[in-house]
Amino acid sequence: MATNDQINIIGKGITIRGSLTGGGDLVVEGRVEGQVNLKNHLTIESSGVVEADIRADELTINGTASGNIDAGTKCSINQAAKVNGDIKATRVVIEDGAVFNGSIDMDVKLPDDI
Amino acid sequence: MANTIIGSSIVIDGEISGDEDLVIQGTVKGKISLKESLFVEASGVVEADIEVQNVDIAGRVTGNIAATDKVELKADCRVVGDVRAPRILIADGASFKGNVDMDVKER
Amino acid sequence: MAATKEFSSGGTDSTVIGPSILISGKLSGDEDLTVRGRVEGELNLSKTLIVETSGIVKANVSVRNAIVSGVVVGNITASESVELTREGRMVGDINSPRVIIVDGASFRGRVDMGNAEPRPQGERPVSRPVVRPATRPATVPARPAVPMRVPSKPQPPPLARVEASSRPENKPAPPPPPPQPVLVGEAGKKKVLVKKKK
Repeated sequence: MATNDQINIIGKGITIRGSLTGGGDLVVEGRVEGQVNLKNHLTIESSGVVEADIRADELTINGTASGNIDAGTKCSINQAAKVNGDIKATRVVIEDGAVFNGSIDMDVKLPDDI
Repeated sequence: MANTIIGSSIVIDGEISGDEDLVIQGTVKGKISLKESLFVEASGVVEADIEVQNVDIAGRVTGNIAATDKVELKADCRVVGDVRAPRILIADGASFKGNVDMDVKER
Repeated sequence: MAATKEFSSGGTDSTVIGPSILISGKLSGDEDLTVRGRVEGELNLSKTLIVETSGIVKANVSVRNAIVSGVVVGNITASESVELTREGRMVGDINSPRVIIVDGASFRGRVDMGNAEPRPQGERPVSRPVVRPATRPATVPARPAVPMRVPSKPQPPPLARVEASSRPENKPAPPPPPPQPVLVGEAGKKKVLVKKKK
């Protein structure tokens, strides 16, 4: 995915307040408050805390996130993650052990007669 | 085809319909209409009107029974209600209270 | 139980709603329930509800565990867990301390895992009143002692013994599960940088 894009890392101990926009992949090991708007893949590592509305194509959460999430393709909430907020995505995965409170909006194809 | 089984601890209050065999070990209140056979086992309690093809009753049934083929009341069953079917079998030991109507044209 | 005959091919203590059966009304019980047909109304079980791929449940559901491979429209309250398998489709709210949504499943609604909110890490075992099988590794990651590496997608342990038996029926799943997202390698992880260009 990130062949010609750079990978950006917000390391542990770094806090960013404000809005964060970009095209490459981003890995958050520190703290981000405000807004995140990414074209590619955002990963929140287990040490990472994101208190922001997040927009990204794909999102992998191992840490903590609170805010609304709009992921183009996929949002994965892994087992150690804690997430609060509303999620809109084509695919949402919640692993066993993850803590999530909020709503999920995916496209659900129901039978016609329901 | 897989049978449908209503297990002994299950209580259903409402309607059951379908076209496959149904085994009742639990409690069903309301209405049952099936295109196939109904089996009320000894632990089964049915308080419902029943419309089926065949019915075998070893448990308790309160309600009217209409079968297009056969009704069989097994020993130790307790049935209260009217029974209508071209063939009706009542085993020795069965307890039954109600009317029997075997007057069906197609036979 | 009836010594007179053996209608029920298995004689197991579990209820199956066959594919052509429609139940509308209230259903309650203390045993596992497998739905291959349709249940509408209200469903209360002290055990596990399994909605198989052909199953449709249009009801408010209150159970201990729910495993959804079919369709559920309505709210589920589970005292232990709710799992949407990759063929599961659900519209409604989930209220359960454990919620698992597998890739491929589709869901619209709210998820409420309860008191999980402000919780100092490591307290999880206390804050979760639910008794879990001892074999379950899922509680472990909450402890901060072992910093989570990029999780290598542990195969989720079977939620319930019945699940396995319900699998073979599954049709090939529509969306093939894509490979886990590639995560940043070791090299990048040590550095404390705001930006790093390759």
